[in-house]
Amino acid sequence: MMIEPLYIDGHGPLHRVPAAPKLALLVVAGLVLFAVRDPRWLGLAAALAALLVWSTGVGAAALWRQLRGLIWVLAAIGVFTLVFQGWLAAAAVLLRIAALVGLALAVTLSTRSSALIAVCEQALRPLQRLDLLDAGKVALALALALRFVPEIWRHYQEIREAQAARGLARHPLALVVPLVVRTLKRAEQVAQAIDARS
Amino acid sequence: MLIEFDQAVVATPHSQALKGVSLTLAQRRIGVVGPNGAGKSTLAKLLNGLVLPTTGRVLVDGLDTRRDLKAVRRRVGFVFQNPENQIVYPIVREDLAFGLKPLGLPAAECARRIGARLDELGVGHLADRASHTLSGGECQLVALASVLVMEPALVVFDEPTTQLDLRNRNRVARAIGALDRPAVVVSHDLDLLGDFDRVLVVVDGRIAADDAPGPALRWYREHCA
Repeated sequence: MMIEPLYIDGHGPLHRVPAAPKLALLVVAGLVLFAVRDPRWLGLAAALAALLVWSTGVGAAALWRQLRGLIWVLAAIGVFTLVFQGWLAAAAVLLRIAALVGLALAVTLSTRSSALIAVCEQALRPLQRLDLLDAGKVALALALALRFVPEIWRHYQEIREAQAARGLARHPLALVVPLVVRTLKRAEQVAQAIDARS
Repeated sequence: MLIEFDQAVVATPHSQALKGVSLTLAQRRIGVVGPNGAGKSTLAKLLNGLVLPTTGRVLVDGLDTRRDLKAVRRRVGFVFQNPENQIVYPIVREDLAFGLKPLGLPAAECARRIGARLDELGVGHLADRASHTLSGGECQLVALASVLVMEPALVVFDEPTTQLDLRNRNRVARAIGALDRPAVVVSHDLDLLGDFDRVLVVVDGRIAADDAPGPALRWYREHCA
């Protein structure tokens, strides 16, 4: 499995909207979706979200890779709500989550990660003026997370392979300990590299 | 570019990585060789203040690495052994921009510099690639570009070809050869240092030999093999 960047190069209508208004609308939409309880409105929102995702020009295969992990979570929530609160509530919950995930996906598919990080940095500036945090450092932390998640996943696979090659069965502790040690060592080297360039 | 080591000692609680090194470095290409754990990387990291001397001083163009750390880092770029650790942003272009951020240049000038540096090293086509998808050789060249884009006066390389195949090793060697500024290169790849101006052999925290590449590398082969 390969963790791929979400952004898709394209010229759809969403690509032309700057990152800040997209993120602001996403926040507002999230709040509104939680206030709405009527499944008909939620269905409309989910349909709109699907339309927006489609407008980014994402391929069906890539979309499936992004969403297949979510299906099981949705199924579990759906069944649980159906049993305890009836089908109307289950439909509302599922449509609400579908709409939210769709809208968030539409934003990430149509916005470069660097633009998203830049908006976060801008949004945190007022807190920096109050001396509560360093917006630049928060932005760097976000970038580092995006950069190194695929690498940590690769390390996990390498450790798993090395243990499989020695005939060891899958054991959580035997995987987690070397992974944490390796990640911490790596973090130290990355910190030094950042120091060297600052 | 003038670098002076004045009785520089680097000590940890358990051992001494460098035991009182005094040197003056002014040549354009200086190689550093030595056995594993001899103190080569420590010596290299003293040059831009990643390691500070426990006692003694290191001066870069008269600037003390302890007192004028920021100015020294501006002057001395550092390319690490594992370039993957050096590329900290998710996209290649963003990573190069990260180094330029403190300089406060206009966006257009940043973009121009980034494009020019990547093209110079023959990796212009990688500008929009995700960092974690680069191969070892591409990674090393991008790491070099990310250092050069900041226009350092001196570039320090810590084993730049150790993890590369022959073709990529040659690409990096050519890039070092073509560099328009002085370089200090720590390496186990002795062929890389053959046409350098000066080679230091570090053994057990001391400079054991300091000569032209021919005699210095001969000494190293005779005494450390």
